[in-house]
Amino acid sequence: MTIPLLDSPATGRGRASTPGGNARKKRAQDPSVIILTTIVCAILLMIIGFPLFGLLSSAFAPKGLEVLGRMVTDPVNHRILGNTLLLGLVVGVTGTLVGFLFAYAQVKVKFRGKRALHLLAMIPIVAPPFAVATAVITLFGRNGAVTNGIFGWQADIYGLPGLTIVLSLSFFPVAYMNIRGMLESLDPSLDEAAAGLGAGKLRVFFTVTIPMLVPGLAGSFLLLFVESIADLANPLVVGGDYTVLASRAYLAVTGEFNMQAGAAYSLTLMLPALCVFLVQRYWVSRKSVVSVTGKPAGTTELVSAPIIRVPILILVGFLAALIVSIYATVLAGGFMKVPGVNNTFTLAHYQFVLNGLGSKAMVDTTILALIAAPIAGIMGMLIGWLVVRKLKRASGLIDFVGMLGLAVPGTVLGIGYLITYNTPVNIFGLQVFPALAGGSAILAGAVAIVMVYVARSLPSGQRAAVSALQQIHPAIEEASTSLGADSATTFRKVTLPLIQSALLTGLTFAFARSMTTLSPIIFLTTPGIKIMTSQILAEVDSGRFGNAFAYCTVLIGIVLIVILILNIIIRKVVFRGQSHRR
Amino acid sequence: MDNLTAAEPITDTSEAIEFSPAEESGQVTLSALTKRYGTRDADPIAVDNIDLHIKAGEFVTLLGPSGCGKTSTLRMIAGFETPSSGHVAVDGVDMVSVAPNKRPMSMVFQSYALFPHLSVRQNVAYGLKLKKTSEKRLKEEVDTALTIMNLIPYADRAPHQLSGGQQQRVALARALVMRPKVLLFDEPLSNLDAKLRVQMRNEIRRLQKRLGITSIFVTHDQDEAMTLSDRIVVMNQGKIEQIDTPERVYRRPSSIFVADFIGRANFLDATLLTDPEGHRARVFALGRERDVETHDDVTLDGEALLMVRPESVLLTLNPEADSVHGEVGRVLSVIFHGESVEYEVETDSGSIVALVSDAAASEIFEVMDTVSVGIKADRGWLLPVAP
Repeated sequence: MTIPLLDSPATGRGRASTPGGNARKKRAQDPSVIILTTIVCAILLMIIGFPLFGLLSSAFAPKGLEVLGRMVTDPVNHRILGNTLLLGLVVGVTGTLVGFLFAYAQVKVKFRGKRALHLLAMIPIVAPPFAVATAVITLFGRNGAVTNGIFGWQADIYGLPGLTIVLSLSFFPVAYMNIRGMLESLDPSLDEAAAGLGAGKLRVFFTVTIPMLVPGLAGSFLLLFVESIADLANPLVVGGDYTVLASRAYLAVTGEFNMQAGAAYSLTLMLPALCVFLVQRYWVSRKSVVSVTGKPAGTTELVSAPIIRVPILILVGFLAALIVSIYATVLAGGFMKVPGVNNTFTLAHYQFVLNGLGSKAMVDTTILALIAAPIAGIMGMLIGWLVVRKLKRASGLIDFVGMLGLAVPGTVLGIGYLITYNTPVNIFGLQVFPALAGGSAILAGAVAIVMVYVARSLPSGQRAAVSALQQIHPAIEEASTSLGADSATTFRKVTLPLIQSALLTGLTFAFARSMTTLSPIIFLTTPGIKIMTSQILAEVDSGRFGNAFAYCTVLIGIVLIVILILNIIIRKVVFRGQSHRR
Repeated sequence: MDNLTAAEPITDTSEAIEFSPAEESGQVTLSALTKRYGTRDADPIAVDNIDLHIKAGEFVTLLGPSGCGKTSTLRMIAGFETPSSGHVAVDGVDMVSVAPNKRPMSMVFQSYALFPHLSVRQNVAYGLKLKKTSEKRLKEEVDTALTIMNLIPYADRAPHQLSGGQQQRVALARALVMRPKVLLFDEPLSNLDAKLRVQMRNEIRRLQKRLGITSIFVTHDQDEAMTLSDRIVVMNQGKIEQIDTPERVYRRPSSIFVADFIGRANFLDATLLTDPEGHRARVFALGRERDVETHDDVTLDGEALLMVRPESVLLTLNPEADSVHGEVGRVLSVIFHGESVEYEVETDSGSIVALVSDAAASEIFEVMDTVSVGIKADRGWLLPVAP
């Protein structure tokens, strides 16, 4: 035996913490993991780290500090902050309620048309942010087709009421999916067990069902809270005098050209958003008591008692009708001269979007989103894999940074990009890369837009990957290693095929989110690159609702078509020659 | 599906196929191997400073209760865990600095870990493809492995279309086709039902004997360990209790823990009458003086217990209750197992379990019967009581 034993005379206890033991650990790590981790970290730094750092340093520059100081002293700023938090609270509650109603009806109540209801609840995900706001103004505004046209009211929906309606209807799908998932994974045998112990239906509902749902409800509320205080598009359109932090920061940057003030307002907005995100992530998700065993142990008994069924169905029906009317308005409005005022049929708006001045935005946006989606999708898978399987200490941090694209409000991210990438980035006087954002940047600022798209859409893919990976037994990957594959090969040949549906979800969401995102983009569009969402804002601002509706419809159409093609491609490629899948 | 498996054990048709590794190799040496989860001294030690040398072609089982460190040891050999200290070597080459995918070993997993998106053939070919084996060689080797494991009819099926036993054979074929120097088994039979388990372990044993691949097998099932191994390594709380042949582990356990963990045992109070000499000593136990074999650590002034396996206990009907032939006892319970009858007998030396096999109906005692309790010749084993 020629084992080099002599260099390790110390044996037994206490050797674990010796330097020798630590050096050994590093040697065993697969080089491909180190390379992949480095790449992922570099990209995360680029798309999230640097911009946030730029924002912070700007907010703490003298001018920014002045604004931060006024956040504490100035009553106007107090009101803005109060407005923002109140909006988050109201929309959080309303949106969660709507989501719960839809989810409860979908899972527990007996009725026909479940699939239609589900699709209806998913539409807002693929719709751009203005669709609902503009349609609500057309239907229920001062000269609204319903409020004025039918009832003759001069309704004023600008401000908190309008924002509540619009934001709740835009963001409730998050709550719907969350709560629906929880309701479905509730093990019916728990209900039966409680009933078997002598509890009545109501008692079961309040002592078993509701406590099990609390994490889902709380989590939904918090997510909606973050989304609604971060939203910029709707406050600009239906906010009226109701100023929130996001719109105030926007005004500071685009109206007052005061970047530091913008940064300071953004920072103020980021704090509650981050806090709520952290609470949601580390407290609520830990409290989750739903037992995921793969399959429910029985079939859920559907509620058919009219006392519960009728009021729920009436409420859901009303909401569904509202949503249908809104999107019908979007669809029809694109063909009307002045929607709600002069409803004569015209193709001028579509002419404008598809063929005229607006078509560049359509093409640019689609191309950039198509570039960003695979990057975000694969990044998400990679991060998920590194976090779940490969990294120990660093995994929490990388996971967290990856999720920041969701937690940090888009306004904040956009201003951070503007500050960081408008000029060439220098480190120790060396130009690392040229200006990425703004009209004079390379490719007219397209790079920054793609980066922001990736940052914004990364989290959904990452979440999908993490949960998919947690369901794959680690031994399957170890088997691949044991057969001679290194980590990268294992990921490519075993892991990726097994999490392909998560990849598809990731890609779909990445594309849809890129196409519909506005708040960071608004700061980054340039004359050379036009983005649909910011074009829609311009059209809405100048009152050309027809163009806006046409844009929205086209955008929804593009998203749906790409999702469809994506589905077909992935199914073709992945299922080729593999009819044996589980 | 299981009927199919039962109908076709590994047949002799494949016996002619040459599949053994080229040279005599595959010695595994563990020296001062230690695994501590966490880095502080207070953290629990999973594997505590173990030394083990496994000969080329040997079949060694790591046996012990859950949490004894056997799986951690195997995973350190495979490279899935990094030792806190100590060495793993194969044929004298240090493995600790070698990445797990570069080690000359293949592992068979408890959960089989077949790739669900690949067919049986693709599963078996997976490792060879990575080695850039030529198309022709690849097909030959895979066919050979499939033939050996009797999997040819299932080559194009997906893993989930196979029964548990067939899946296990695919996992084995996938590991064998790599011609590893060392085969590692991580409780591979624990997901099978009892009958299939017995059949699979016989197949594994036969195959291993024929191919001569060094094998390390982790299990908590003593039956598996007994029937499969050349040597058994009994582990407890991260330490090795005994390394020995199955027979020695059973008949001459090194400690009360091993005696208790492997099989069943009666431990009887024994008083030493002579200093142990040549592994033998004279003791007073179970009502009379006896000559017994002794463990090395037994001393005249230390405490000792006499281990007697239930099947070594001799019961004879003794209605007069005379103590000429040794201890007298009373039957407390009778349990009929089919191939044997188990008695619990109350004696002055405590309660004794006896197993009597192949007893005629008339020979079976009844509860409250008075019996003489003896020990079959040379069956006792004197163990020291740990201070």
